[in-house]
Amino acid sequence: MGGRVSRQLARNVPALLLALLLLGPLLALLVRWLSGSDKLSLLAFIDAGTLLLVGKSLLLSCVVAVLASLMGTICGFLLYRLKFSFRGFYKILLLLPLLVPPYIFAVAWKDGFQWLFGNSTAINPEVGMIIVHTLVLFPLAMLITGTALSQIHSGLEEAGLMRVSFRRMLIKIILPLIRPALTISFLLILIISLSDFSVPAFFGVNTFTTEIFTQFSAFYNHQLAISQSFLLVLLCLTLLLSENKYLSDAPFFSVHVKGSSTKHYSFRKGLTMLHVLLWILLIAVLVLPVVMLSHQALSGREMLFSRAWELLSPTIFQSAKLAFLGASLISAIGLWVAYLKERSRFPHLNTMLLLTFIIPSTVLGVAMIKFYNHPATNFIYTTIFILLITYVGRFGFIAARIIGNGIKQIPGSLEEVARVIGIPPVKRFFSISIPLLLPSIFTAFVLSFVLCLGELGTTIMIYPPGTELMPVKIFTIGANAPLALTSSMTLISFGVTMFFILLFFLIGKILFNRFSYA
Amino acid sequence: MRPFIVTFILLAMIGLSVCTPSSHQVVVYCTVDQVFSEPILRDFENETGIKVRAVFDTEETKSTGVMNRLIAEKDNAQCDLFWSGDPLRNIVLQSKDITSPYQSIQTDLIPGDFREKEYHWTGFSARARVLIYNKTLISSDSLPQSILELTHPRFKGQFTIANPLFGTTTFHMAALFAGMGQAPAKQWMNDLKKNQVVIATSNGDVKKRVMTGELAFGLTDTDDAFEAKKESDDVDYAFLDQQAGGMGTLIMPNALSMIKDSPNSENGKKLMNYLLSRETEAKLAISCAQMPLIKGTEIPDIVPSLDHIIPMKIDYAQSSAILEQIQPWLKKWVEE
Repeated sequence: MGGRVSRQLARNVPALLLALLLLGPLLALLVRWLSGSDKLSLLAFIDAGTLLLVGKSLLLSCVVAVLASLMGTICGFLLYRLKFSFRGFYKILLLLPLLVPPYIFAVAWKDGFQWLFGNSTAINPEVGMIIVHTLVLFPLAMLITGTALSQIHSGLEEAGLMRVSFRRMLIKIILPLIRPALTISFLLILIISLSDFSVPAFFGVNTFTTEIFTQFSAFYNHQLAISQSFLLVLLCLTLLLSENKYLSDAPFFSVHVKGSSTKHYSFRKGLTMLHVLLWILLIAVLVLPVVMLSHQALSGREMLFSRAWELLSPTIFQSAKLAFLGASLISAIGLWVAYLKERSRFPHLNTMLLLTFIIPSTVLGVAMIKFYNHPATNFIYTTIFILLITYVGRFGFIAARIIGNGIKQIPGSLEEVARVIGIPPVKRFFSISIPLLLPSIFTAFVLSFVLCLGELGTTIMIYPPGTELMPVKIFTIGANAPLALTSSMTLISFGVTMFFILLFFLIGKILFNRFSYA
Repeated sequence: MRPFIVTFILLAMIGLSVCTPSSHQVVVYCTVDQVFSEPILRDFENETGIKVRAVFDTEETKSTGVMNRLIAEKDNAQCDLFWSGDPLRNIVLQSKDITSPYQSIQTDLIPGDFREKEYHWTGFSARARVLIYNKTLISSDSLPQSILELTHPRFKGQFTIANPLFGTTTFHMAALFAGMGQAPAKQWMNDLKKNQVVIATSNGDVKKRVMTGELAFGLTDTDDAFEAKKESDDVDYAFLDQQAGGMGTLIMPNALSMIKDSPNSENGKKLMNYLLSRETEAKLAISCAQMPLIKGTEIPDIVPSLDHIIPMKIDYAQSSAILEQIQPWLKKWVEE
C-alpha cells in the first residue's frame, strides 16, 4: 500500500509540476483571452478570407510535408540501411540544413538565383517558399525514419526475402513497420512549415502565420493575434490527435529483440549513380547556401571574419551551455513522457507537450511573459530557467515522439520477464530499457541540441536582458550590419554547430559500440 | 531520489550563475541597430560603473521582439528605459500607459518639435528618409525630385520601398497621409502599385537590392544609405522634396522613454541624461550619420546637417493616430 502510494506520488507530483510549468502559461493566457473580450468578437475574425488563408497555408505546408517526407524517407533508407562508403559523411552533412535558420537559407537561395540567373524574381514566391522549407526540413524526416528503419529486426526482412522480392518486402514489411515514423515526420514537418513566418514573409507569401505575425508586429493587436493563434493551434491539434488515435496506435507487431543487428543491404550496381544523386542533393541543400554565404562574406570591402568572430565568440559558450542543458532536460522529460505514454497508458503529458509544440513561438513567448513575469517568479523569469522551460515546451514533443517510436520497438515481454524474476522497476528501467533506447535518446538529444541552439522566435521575447545568445546576436547585429558581416557570423554559427554535431557523432559511435549486443 | 536532488541543485547553480540580478544596473530595451547603440551603452557602463543589461531588436519582419515584450511585461516592468529609432513606438507605448514622464536635465537642449509635451518621450539624433540609388543604373539628374514623382511611368518597375506595415516606412506613410490627406495619399499609393513598385521586406532589403543593382533606387533611412555608401562606390543617396514649396523630408529622431514602475528608474534617468548629450549625438553622427538635434554638436563633413534640410512639417501624435486608421488599408495594399 505504502509502495503504491509512493509510486502514485512519484508519478503524479512531477507530472503536475511539469503541467504547471508548461501548461500554466497557456491556460492563463486562454483565461485572459476569454475574459478580456466580448464573447462574440472572439470568433469574429473567422470569415471567408480567414478560412481561405488557412486553406492556402495548409495546402502549401502539405506540399512541403509530402516532398520533405518523401525525400527524407528515401535518404533515410539509403543512409541507414544501405552499406556503402562515406555513408556517415553523407548522414552528417545532410543533417546540416536543420541547423540553418530557414530565413538565412531563403536569403542564400534567393541570392544564389540572383547570382546564377541575374534575376531573383524569376522564382515564384510560393515555389520559393516550398523549396526552402522542403530543403530545410527534410533532414527531420530522414532522422526520424532513419532511426525507425535501423530498429527493425533483421529477421523480419530476411524471412520476407526468402519468399518475395526486395521491392515487395519493402512495401509489405518495411513501410508498414515505419508507418508511425512516416506519419509523425509528415505531421511535424507540416506543423513546422505552417508555423514559420520568416520564409513566407521573405518571399512575400501571405499565410495564416504571417497574418498572426503582422497582428503582433505591425498592429500590436495581441487579442486578435492570440485569437488567430488559437485557431492555428486547434487545427494542428486536430491533425496530431487524429494521428495519435488512428495511426500511431495501430497494432505494431514487431517483436524486436535488441542486440540483433539491423540488416544492411550492399550493392554494387548503381553505386556511382547513388553517389551522384547524393552529391546533387548536398549541393542543393548545403553547398549552394554555404557558397552564397561565403561569397557574401568575402564580397565586402574588408574581410569581416575577425570582426564577426569578435562579436559572436562571447555568445558561443553561453549558447552551447544553454543548448546542452536544454537538450538534456528535453531528452530526460521526453523519455519520461514517452515511457508513461507507451508503457503506463498515461498520454496526458504527451498531449501537453504537443500543445506547447504547436503554439506559435510569439504566442508562447507572450504566455511565458504573462505567467512568469511576477516578483514571486523573478527567479525563473530573470534567469535562464525561463529559456529552459521554453525549450522544453518548444521541442519536448519531438523528443518524446522519437523516443516513443523507440519504445514501441522494444517488446514488452523483456520487461515482463524481468518483473517476473523480481527485478525492481527502477533497475528494470535503467538496466533493460535505457540501453535499448540509447539510439533514440541520443537522436532526440542531438536534434534537441541543434534546435535549442538555433531557436529565435520565442527566445528573442524572453531572454534575460544582458544574456548573449548566438541566433539572437546574428539577427540583432544583422539588422543594419554590412551583409558581409552577417554572412560571416552565419558561417561561424554554422561552423560551431557542425563542430558540436561531429563531437556528438563521435560520442555516439563510442556509446553505441559499448552498448550494442552481438 | 538523490540523483534528482543533485540535478536540481546543479541546475539551480548553473542558472543563477548566468544571470544574477544586481541593484547597480540599468535595463534598456533598444530598437536602434545594435551595431550603433551597443558601443554607446558600453561607454556609459565604463564611465559610470552602472551595468547595462540591454535587449536589442531585429528587423521587424524577422521577429516580434522588443515592442511586444514591453507590452506583455506591462504589469511587472523589467525595462527601465526604452530607446527607440523613431517616436511612433514610444507614442504607442504611451497610449498603452507603459511610459512615464521624465524631464531630463538635458531636455531644454532639444528643440520643442522633437519631444512630447508631457515628456513621455524625448528625441535626439535624427535620421531622415532618403532616396538611395545605384549610380550605374540611374544618374543623379534623372532621379525623382519628389516622392510624388515615383508614380511617373519612366520609373516603372525600377524602384522599391520597404513593407509599409513595419518600421520607419510605416511612419513615413503615416506622415504622408497626415500631410496630403487620406484620399490623395491612397491614390498616390495605388499609383505606385500601377508603376510596379517592388515591396522589399525591410529598409535593409531596400539597401541590398539597390546595392546589388537589382533595382535603380529605393526609399530608406539615412543610416542604411550611409552604410551602403561605405560598402559600395556605386551607391549614393538624395533628399527628396527639397525644392521651395516642397513638402520636405521626414525627419525621425531617436526617442527615449522612461518605463512606468521600472525596477531601476534612477539609473534609467542617468542613462537617459547620458544619451541626451552632445557627446552621444556626435558618436551617432560618426557611426551612422545620424543628425544631431542639439545645436553646436560637432559632426563630420559627410554627415548632413538639419540646418540644410527642409523638414516635413509633422505632428508625431497626429501621425500616430492616423496610422491606426490607415493600417488596415495599408495591409490590403501590401497583400493585393
